[in-house]
Amino acid sequence: MTWDMLVGAAVLAATLRLATPILLAALGGVVSERSGVTNIALEGSMLVGAFFGVLAADRSHSIVVALAVAVAAGTALAALHAVAAIHFRSDQIVSGMALNILALGLTSYLDYQLYGTTGTPSDLPGIPDLPLGALERVPFLGALAGDQSVMVWVALGLVVLLQLFLFRTVPGLRLRAVGEHPRAADTVGIAVRRTRYWAVLTSGALAALGGAYLSLSVAHSFTDDMVGGRGFIGLAAMIFGRWTPTGALIASLIFGYGGALSTSLQGATIGDVRVPVQLLSTLPYVLTVLAVAGFVGRSRPPAADGVPYEHEGH
Amino acid sequence: MAATPPAGPSAPPARRPARSWVEGPAIPAASVLIALVLGAAFVLVSGNDPVAAYAALARGAFGTPYDVTETLIIAIPLTLGGLSVAIAFRTGLFNIGAQSQLLVGAVATGFVGVRFADLPGPLLMPLVILTGIVAGGAWGALAGWLKATRGVNEVITTIMQNYTVVFVMHWLLQNGPMSAPNALGTPASARIGDGAVLPVVIPAALIPLTRLHAGILLAALAVVAFWFILFRTTLGYELRAVGLGPRAAAQAGIDPKRGMVLGMFVAGGFAGLAGMVQVSGVFQRVYDGFSAGYGFDAIAVALLGKNSPIGIVLAALLFGAFARGGTIMQSNAHISSNLVAVIEALVLFVIAAETVFRELARRRTTEKTA
Amino acid sequence: MKQLLASFVLIATVAAACGGGAAAPSATPAAAASATARPASAAPTATPKPVRVGLVTDVGGLNDKSFNTLANQGRLDAEKDLGVQTSVVESKKQEDYVPNLTTFAQQGYDLVISVGFLMTNATWKVAKQFPNIKFGIIDGAPANDKGDTENLPNVSNLFFAEQEAGYLVGVIAATMAKDKVGAATHNTVCAMGGIPIPPVDKYIAGYQDAVKTVSPTTTILNGYSNDFVDQQKGKEVGLNHIGKGCDILFQVAGGSGLGYITAAKEKGVYAIGVDSDQADVAPGTVITSALKRVNKAVYDTAKAVKDGKFVAGDQLFNAANDGVGYGKLAAIVPAGAKAAADQALADIKSGKVKPKTALQVK
Repeated sequence: MTWDMLVGAAVLAATLRLATPILLAALGGVVSERSGVTNIALEGSMLVGAFFGVLAADRSHSIVVALAVAVAAGTALAALHAVAAIHFRSDQIVSGMALNILALGLTSYLDYQLYGTTGTPSDLPGIPDLPLGALERVPFLGALAGDQSVMVWVALGLVVLLQLFLFRTVPGLRLRAVGEHPRAADTVGIAVRRTRYWAVLTSGALAALGGAYLSLSVAHSFTDDMVGGRGFIGLAAMIFGRWTPTGALIASLIFGYGGALSTSLQGATIGDVRVPVQLLSTLPYVLTVLAVAGFVGRSRPPAADGVPYEHEGH
Repeated sequence: MAATPPAGPSAPPARRPARSWVEGPAIPAASVLIALVLGAAFVLVSGNDPVAAYAALARGAFGTPYDVTETLIIAIPLTLGGLSVAIAFRTGLFNIGAQSQLLVGAVATGFVGVRFADLPGPLLMPLVILTGIVAGGAWGALAGWLKATRGVNEVITTIMQNYTVVFVMHWLLQNGPMSAPNALGTPASARIGDGAVLPVVIPAALIPLTRLHAGILLAALAVVAFWFILFRTTLGYELRAVGLGPRAAAQAGIDPKRGMVLGMFVAGGFAGLAGMVQVSGVFQRVYDGFSAGYGFDAIAVALLGKNSPIGIVLAALLFGAFARGGTIMQSNAHISSNLVAVIEALVLFVIAAETVFRELARRRTTEKTA
Repeated sequence: MKQLLASFVLIATVAAACGGGAAAPSATPAAAASATARPASAAPTATPKPVRVGLVTDVGGLNDKSFNTLANQGRLDAEKDLGVQTSVVESKKQEDYVPNLTTFAQQGYDLVISVGFLMTNATWKVAKQFPNIKFGIIDGAPANDKGDTENLPNVSNLFFAEQEAGYLVGVIAATMAKDKVGAATHNTVCAMGGIPIPPVDKYIAGYQDAVKTVSPTTTILNGYSNDFVDQQKGKEVGLNHIGKGCDILFQVAGGSGLGYITAAKEKGVYAIGVDSDQADVAPGTVITSALKRVNKAVYDTAKAVKDGKFVAGDQLFNAANDGVGYGKLAAIVPAGAKAAADQALADIKSGKVKPKTALQVK
């Protein structure tokens, strides 16, 4: 085992790649829950984003159209959740679960119907990389950040944007107010339901970007259930990050790092003993629990999170 | 900010007890029907024959006595898993980790069943049953303990546990400590002793080829145990009090921390029993990667069954019927079995809208009195 | 009240089944509680009963672009060319194997094929209960409950010599690495398996054997994605290997392996596909594929049943009977490599070369 295997530029670059889909889902979760709506259907939004992004890429041969469609699909799924949770005040966990199952069944079904047993085509337009010319020659940073996907930078940018939005702007304050004291917010004239709708729709859009990243940047194809639980890991990252964008970033990075390690340590030995590959794969998950238990501990969600709001009077 | 009850995924608010099932079984039943209709529309729109699809679905699920027993075999772990998730919900916890608790129970059963393979049935069977329950329970209790002492949200812990167990199983069974050289061509443990095998309970003369094993009896007992624990013991009272929030628990003089650990232990126990049943009744050894997805389906079962014993049994039967029928639908009507997932989702979704009906009913009564 | 409603739901669905049964297009035979099997049609009659072939896949899913896809292709070819009626069922959980196989058997299918080594015990169980129905297992032999192989008179064990296919592509890879063809400048080749099980490792063993024979100085790397589905994992292993200098990546990991190929594509190096010809997965990147003609096994077995020439026990599909081979060569592959591969193929057929089945680089 060498230092390079642990903290080399390649490992850190992999960390970013692995963290990105989780981060996007987590950011979606943060926005939604900060407004008071529990959205566990992030996995579903990621999956429909992944599938419809590929479908649109295939039909339109344009990555821009593909991404737009992906976002639309994820938002549409989230819209179903929004209507159920906000308008009908139904159980948000049930609704979220239902949408996850729906997304999985629907995308698998359509994948079978449209791409049968040959799979998606191999010449899909992809999300481009962002080569940072000058940076590429810099020794460590070059390998780390010199040629990452555009989506990685978008995700990082979104962290900054959302952190500023939520904690430094008036609309962000309003959104948080709706999540903490909806009745007080209502009294002051903030449109509780409308704010929540926007928040949930945004969460679907963000998650869909994460899914599109997987299908259009990493795999350049769609296979059934390709999100593989990253939406749920994103939820965990959100909780770990105390419902803040920067916290979600740190959590996602830890998670991505564990995954990157499990690849880079393959074949590594400590002395004469081989590090067993399968146990290595548990690293991201064990690390996350240890980190939360050790450093984060108790974290409190927004006070009105998951509680449907009853508008009195009308 | 005064102490407020924990919200978010860790303590879903509207998880009301059995009464609502008695009050409103019409809602879940109606949801199923509505979902089936919507599903038929979906099949039609995608260019297939809904009648053929549903015919195959129903035939697969109950067409012959053999099919019925196959549906039951799937319903067994779903019931146990549903009970696991439900009891956690009652305690105010979201047990997404039923799958890992199931696998832990299964691996422990496999280990004990092989290690003590020579023990006679009356000794070995109770031993493996206990092992499955305790192993799953301990694993679940770990998540409960982390929440109680370090405040780690159980959603995080249980999701992480799910993945960890899968990989540890890979390690154990792929040329690892528990793998047995065999010609099965796939990573698996050695066969458990005969004393630990749950026998087939229906004579072959009655239903040829049936595999319905004694796990169904264990599942039935578990349902009774669930009801008994929750409503007839002080433990159950404790758990339900904790589920209503820390203030309610404090008023009842109960330490919520204790409640969390115990609640997750019981939840893990049910799921561990599911794992034990799969090993003892279905496979007679531990295969790497078996029983995939039961934990996830169990969440849907608990939600559909509204965390009540009867509801969970019916929901498990429904999902079992869908799973079994879906296969026949694919082989006979040539429609992708993923359609079943769409229908399941629609069922849940319509259930979620149950509050709408409640709302409407409530408004109607208030208008009448106004 | 609740019992009434629950029964109503059940009755409604059963009623739909009975009512819909008459209108169902495909042959849904009357529910048979006993295991009556229809004998395989042997002598041709005026209107011969069509032979029915059922395929049960394992949990990998039908569009893995390799193994299951190929088996399914064989089924479709048999349906088109031989006039047999076929059907396929995807298993979602390991618990589904026995009931899925039993369902085909109960419906009186003439031949039921299990696609994959995970189904050896399940096939044994069902084949024993239906001695009049023919079964085939791809990549396995029936295994009894003790875990030992137990051949049955109605089961054909369809094995492949994966190490031979691996050897052939290994020759091509080694030649290109040795001669530093195109982007293969680092004299390093590598492989990635899904999980370390015999059907996977045999491919890699043959590959490594060829490389060590043809070009002993070439560095060999090996890894596993621990997943047959997740492409991101496969891609990360690929990027890791490329970072260590690998120029030719041999994937033996199903869907996850597609990610391995994608890594090669992104970095402008080469990849080798597995099972089916994966040249179309990444044209220009995939230089060849290690072919395992699973479709041929399905087709041949279906034909055998139709012609009454079914053979039980071990059947080996290898280079000698065209059961394995190497796939379409990309333009970059030099003529010398092709010649070497063809020579190796001839040598394997004649028995002069016996590719190893054990890994040398783990």
